[in-house]
Amino acid sequence: MKLTTTHCIIAFLMIIGIQQNTEAQSINNYIKGHFNGSFENYTQSYMQDDKIGAFMPQDKIGSNSFLKLDYNFSKFSAGIQFESYLPSILGFFPIPTSNQSKIVNKYFKYTDNKFSVQVGDFYEQFGSGLIFRAFENRQIGINNAHEGFDIHVEPTDFLKLKVIYGRPRKLFEYANTVSRGVDAEVNINSLLKLKEKENGLSILLGGSYVSKFEEYTGAIDNFPSTINAYAGRLDISTNDLSISTEYVDKSKDPNLLNNLSFEKGKAFQLDAAYTKNNFGVTATYRGIYNMNFISERDVEFGSLAPVNYLPALTKQHDYLTSNIYVYAAQGKGESGFQTDLFYTFKSGTALGGKYGTKLSFNASLFGSLKDSNNIFGIGDEKYYRDINMEIKKKLSKKMEITIGLQQIFYNSSVIQAVSSEDVNAYVVAIGGLYKFAPKKSIRFKAEHLSTQNDQGSWASALAELSLSGPYAFYASDLFNYGKTKNHYYNFGASVTKNATRFSLGFGKQRAGLFCVGGICRFVPASYGFTASLTTSFAN
Amino acid sequence: MFLKKQFIKVKFQYFVKNKIMSKLIIAALMMLLVSETAFSQESFASIKLKSTSGKTIDISELAANSKDTMVVLSFWATWCIPCINELEIINDVFEEKQAIKPFKFYGVSVDDSRTAQRVKPFIKGKGWVFDVLMDINSELKRSLNITDVPHVIIIKDNKIVYRHTGYIAGEEDNLFEAIKNL
Repeated sequence: MKLTTTHCIIAFLMIIGIQQNTEAQSINNYIKGHFNGSFENYTQSYMQDDKIGAFMPQDKIGSNSFLKLDYNFSKFSAGIQFESYLPSILGFFPIPTSNQSKIVNKYFKYTDNKFSVQVGDFYEQFGSGLIFRAFENRQIGINNAHEGFDIHVEPTDFLKLKVIYGRPRKLFEYANTVSRGVDAEVNINSLLKLKEKENGLSILLGGSYVSKFEEYTGAIDNFPSTINAYAGRLDISTNDLSISTEYVDKSKDPNLLNNLSFEKGKAFQLDAAYTKNNFGVTATYRGIYNMNFISERDVEFGSLAPVNYLPALTKQHDYLTSNIYVYAAQGKGESGFQTDLFYTFKSGTALGGKYGTKLSFNASLFGSLKDSNNIFGIGDEKYYRDINMEIKKKLSKKMEITIGLQQIFYNSSVIQAVSSEDVNAYVVAIGGLYKFAPKKSIRFKAEHLSTQNDQGSWASALAELSLSGPYAFYASDLFNYGKTKNHYYNFGASVTKNATRFSLGFGKQRAGLFCVGGICRFVPASYGFTASLTTSFAN
Repeated sequence: MFLKKQFIKVKFQYFVKNKIMSKLIIAALMMLLVSETAFSQESFASIKLKSTSGKTIDISELAANSKDTMVVLSFWATWCIPCINELEIINDVFEEKQAIKPFKFYGVSVDDSRTAQRVKPFIKGKGWVFDVLMDINSELKRSLNITDVPHVIIIKDNKIVYRHTGYIAGEEDNLFEAIKNL
């Protein structure tokens, strides 16, 4: 039967009718809907600088804009997202994008107590995202929202179900593939009718199935056009301790990223965390093999339209020098672990001093698999190691300092896929904040990265002056004194009022991996002005 | 009213080309117009997030019950340094400010599965006293149009009455002044 507008209207009016009949009607309950939106713009201008390799494109400006509008009334919500690239900022998309402006995302959602349905473009995640994640990361240019439907239903008090069906967004179009999946989560406490424990024991058992179809018209025999992935997970937690584990199995998925391999993919992740008083510690292990799960098999860049989420499980640092050598997850095969420790020495103690001292420690190590596809255990070839710690101490009501130390091992050949020597580096950073008057402060940071490898050592300095809240001025320089003698300086100002912020800056950007949220994109060197405007609004 | 008409006009022009989806969306919008005169209590989308203390919080219910006690939501992440600076300052004076005028406060973490397991040990290790909600796939962040973190909003009587993005030392004074005056 052909779906006509009349059918849609009748279906939705029936939903309203059922809902209204079950609620008491009273003029006193009338409240208007909630409308809110946001606008973001990032603009860069480009100038030539042969010393740092900054290339000036023919169109010397790049500008990305995002406008989002959402409306919610009672159990109904709807929205659109408009994007404009005139053209896109250099390095934002993995392939050049000509001037385009379009409504790229639209949705309508109905939510009831135990049921919700979203049609149009939706975002969703199953478990940790190792099997399926539709998400947006504007800074790195990822948006794989799927166009179709997303249904959530809780048929019993112990079972939550999700059903999805859709085709993923690929830049301004949709990929020629379709993904469908189902996720089930069982609350064991509710299922077995366990009494609420004093220690807060909670057990959740989950399972997911995702199937991706892409037509195959080539000549290879038995080439799979449908990829099936299964996942199982278990989360056990108490007030102080939590353990989560997930295992994913993916059927044969030959594509450009794995050189048309007919091997299956698999992943295993284990997370544990313990907290007590002023202490917290976490440990994570992950092993993956052939887990780049992408929508179209012929895309050269996995970040164009991914099906799953494979972030680098390493710490994202705030230091200019630490961001020179950053890790990108190796979907073909890697295993490794990460651990974090947080502790506060209370005020009044010997190490705490008058105001307390905060300590954080982090370590991560990733390398090859032990055997060709054994995801349990780390192999001989190391890809990345980061051991770091940070101490933050308040010296007085006006002054606080932070000291950071870091040791990095970086396997360039694997991470950047270019033949290059390994890098061993040490970073020392010292920073501080001084509030010299009410709502006026100055923040400073000095760093040094020492290494005998690659481009040699670096030094950096940053200062940020804030005046009366709305105005801030900054200046920074990242200097490669080891080899190139290049200065990557930046200076600028910003003004903020409520939810609106405007900033303008000028300077040089280093070429390299730019990673946000664990996803990395290679950005070229650039030299010129950068402006940004962000705002949010609501009725 | 003007904005609503513009909103509807933009939608209609685009989706004439995309027939099936446009039929669904146009039908839904017509229904929304009809339901403008219907009766309801919630005007925030119903989004349920788990807290680090093990509870499940529905944002629309939180907002609907904010007539007498306002709700402050501070969006942050373990990788966002200004966010951490802001929340540390708020934590230091939290109980003192609650005594002056009570308010519900939640830190909303937008840490995704890359760093989500770090959140509870992080806040315990720092000795933070307030509850934190986990917005793992940024569902609430998108719904409330939070452009970037840090971002603080105050909801009172089912409406967003205060909004601030970014954090610079001293900004917390503006937040507490807003809480005092609301």
